[in-house]
Amino acid sequence: MFFFILINNNSNKMFFLFIMFFSTLISISSNSWFGCWIGLEINLLSFIPLISNSKNLLSVETSLKYFLTQSLASINFLFMILIKFSLLKNFNMNNIISIMMNSSLLMKMGSAPFHFWFPNIVEGLSWMNNFMLMTWQKISPMILLSYYFNKNFLIFMIIMNLIIGSLGGLNQTSLRKLLAFSSINNLGWMIFSIMISENLWLFYFLIYSMMIFMMISLFFLMNMYFMNQLFINNMNFFIKLNLLINFLSLGGLPPFMGFMPKWIIIKFLLINKFYFLTFIFMMTSLIIIYYYIRIIYSSFMFNYFKMKWMNLLMKNNMLLINLSSFISISSMILSTFIFM
Amino acid sequence: MLIYDIWFLFIYMFFLGNLIFVSKNKHLFVVLLSLEFIVLSIFFFFFVLLIFIDYDMYMLMVFLVFSVCEGSLGLSILVSMIRSYGNDYFQSFSML
Repeated sequence: MFFFILINNNSNKMFFLFIMFFSTLISISSNSWFGCWIGLEINLLSFIPLISNSKNLLSVETSLKYFLTQSLASINFLFMILIKFSLLKNFNMNNIISIMMNSSLLMKMGSAPFHFWFPNIVEGLSWMNNFMLMTWQKISPMILLSYYFNKNFLIFMIIMNLIIGSLGGLNQTSLRKLLAFSSINNLGWMIFSIMISENLWLFYFLIYSMMIFMMISLFFLMNMYFMNQLFINNMNFFIKLNLLINFLSLGGLPPFMGFMPKWIIIKFLLINKFYFLTFIFMMTSLIIIYYYIRIIYSSFMFNYFKMKWMNLLMKNNMLLINLSSFISISSMILSTFIFM
Repeated sequence: MLIYDIWFLFIYMFFLGNLIFVSKNKHLFVVLLSLEFIVLSIFFFFFVLLIFIDYDMYMLMVFLVFSVCEGSLGLSILVSMIRSYGNDYFQSFSML
């Protein structure tokens, strides 16, 4: 039906894709911090060929910026590992070395104080590369974060992530940058879920990557990069409906699939008495839902221009649209049947 | 103690390398050189550390292999930038 990752012009990229998957496994399953660093290095080495294309000015600049930030972060990470190994002989996590290690990992993820490269790079990549960047590249820094984190520092970072992710997306017209800021916001939720339990993080991460996959596959099939491309007259109504469902699911509105991980995280927030943090989580989610609804409402009501020919891939792929809408709507109810 | 004075050298070298990395330069090549300087300072640190704990230098070799790989990746990105832009000035970035 559709093989997104296999639709590549170059079969060398399959090789680098495989190495990228393998590098994450190296990083999260290593015995020592040095093995973790090796996994992060191989990740960088294998992701750069996937995104660089020397015939295109935009992708040269993108791969350059990505390389500079990620290499700085991983070399800092190694230095802090060595300092930790040589100067610290206990396992107390509330010290400055854990702050430095967490900072370098947050820079690798594109989290809040170090997020300035993230919307720029997401703007310069194609949709499939964006999907890899937003989902798979976050796995190994997250899990490494869960091994040695400083609770107070991370709570401050969570607040910054949420606020920057929600307020940064308000003035965007590019769909890629919108999803980038949404990704930064969801990073805040994910970092908190790491502090609770890794199993909870895995649950949030899987549902988040499924939602991002549905949205990115829709945008990829329609070849849409900007918001004014949503106002097409002869776009099928069900595609717009699917867009509505997926956006609201990503924002975390109740009947849809995206509400469930946020619900569980709120429950854990309230059990651990993080009341002010719950307030910030709620309010920033509200801002995000505001600008999603603004996009979809405009897309339903305004039809500016009529295309002479539409993308034929959509007409043969209505199964994907219907399937993703069905999953997004009914997951919450069907999940109660699983755990019966 | 004499041993603890050497930590200042490593932290100083590392900090200076980072400072040059984040400073405003005209060329991209200076940034890559500062990255290699940080790698050099970590190499020195690793070397002294492994001597103090009487450990063989295998880990150092593995570190060197990966750092050199990263350096060569940086150089290949520099080459691709020069092939498309014509120079490596930071001012020629107009896309992002």
